[in-house]
Amino acid sequence: MTARYRRHPELRLAPVEGEGVVLHLGTRRYFSVNDTGLTLLELLAAPCSLGDLVAALVERYEVTADEARDSVRSFVDGCLAARLLVIDADA
Amino acid sequence: MTSTIGLTCDDAPLCRALARWLDHTRLEPPDGLGLDVRVADAPPPPDVRTPFRQPGVVVRSGPPQGGVRVWWEVAPAFAELAPGATVARVTLSPAAIRELDLCTSSFLMTVLIFLLRRAGWHHVHAATAVDPEAGRGWLVAGDAAAGKSTTAALLATRGWAVGTDDLAFLAAGMDGRVSVAACRAPIALRVGGRRLLRLIGGIPRAERDKFTFWPEDLGGVWAPHVAPDIILFPSIGDGRSTATALGRRDTLVELVRWSAWVVLEPELAQPHLDLLGTLARQARAFRVTLGRDLFDHPDRLRELVA
Repeated sequence: MTARYRRHPELRLAPVEGEGVVLHLGTRRYFSVNDTGLTLLELLAAPCSLGDLVAALVERYEVTADEARDSVRSFVDGCLAARLLVIDADA
Repeated sequence: MTSTIGLTCDDAPLCRALARWLDHTRLEPPDGLGLDVRVADAPPPPDVRTPFRQPGVVVRSGPPQGGVRVWWEVAPAFAELAPGATVARVTLSPAAIRELDLCTSSFLMTVLIFLLRRAGWHHVHAATAVDPEAGRGWLVAGDAAAGKSTTAALLATRGWAVGTDDLAFLAAGMDGRVSVAACRAPIALRVGGRRLLRLIGGIPRAERDKFTFWPEDLGGVWAPHVAPDIILFPSIGDGRSTATALGRRDTLVELVRWSAWVVLEPELAQPHLDLLGTLARQARAFRVTLGRDLFDHPDRLRELVA
């Protein structure tokens, strides 16, 4: 079964000119994100697989699927470590 | 002037003292907010939520019960704001009332900060000022050691309008910009800041080794509201003063950093963040090192961000 991810419910986003700040109300930590990170987190308001995220990056940015896959994998791993994402219970 | 914040209290002398305090803050949020104060020594209810600590004050908020509870650590005092409520229920012990000045400036001001959030006013640790020549609003955000008060006092000596040296409340203005309301309180300078500004006088505030000055004492005026065009994030340095422009994202990160309460009360976090985002877009921001040259050339700060 393909894992699907979504934003932690205690996450709040503040976009500013394509980038932004992410605030986790539970851990009381905040992070800045670049335009790619903001794009991914906005998509992750709904459950997404890694493939969904890779496809979105390939469509929006001038990157190959391999490059996008590496970026998405790294971003999702980092977000999971910081509890910014959860694995969707319906996956 | 009568505060727009309502007050009920079962102790007449205490009620008069608290009404005076509220009036002195000059805060005029939208109608409907209130403090309901009673005198008792009753212990506060148990609460297992993760505490959020500030000097002398403990706050618990969020799930499962929602709302916010505030404890004072100096003497027994407790306040509760139920989810969605616009009236804070406050219990003060006789011991807390004996320390009423400290109680209002510490515990009750924290309660007020949470109450004001219910009206869309969100606190940021910042000083505010208006440049009398350019007409631009300034917000100077940072912690207690950043130099906010010294900067506010310096600007007041140059005839600027100063709103506050720490208690600033962001709110959405009618024009889509963020406006910042100031809590009326004297600028509190440490002994070193007072000496660098070559000031004499001031009212000693024994409990924190500071001297207080009203903006008017220093040649300035009071600014109840400021719409920031310039944001400074200062720190104190030994060399010459410098300023580095910040991008919007870094500005927002800094604003979040100095808005400690943004992480509390989940239902109010997003509107608070949205205001910070609007502010990051509306103003130019700088990370500033405040050097001693400022005290010989006080207009240098304005030149650095011109």
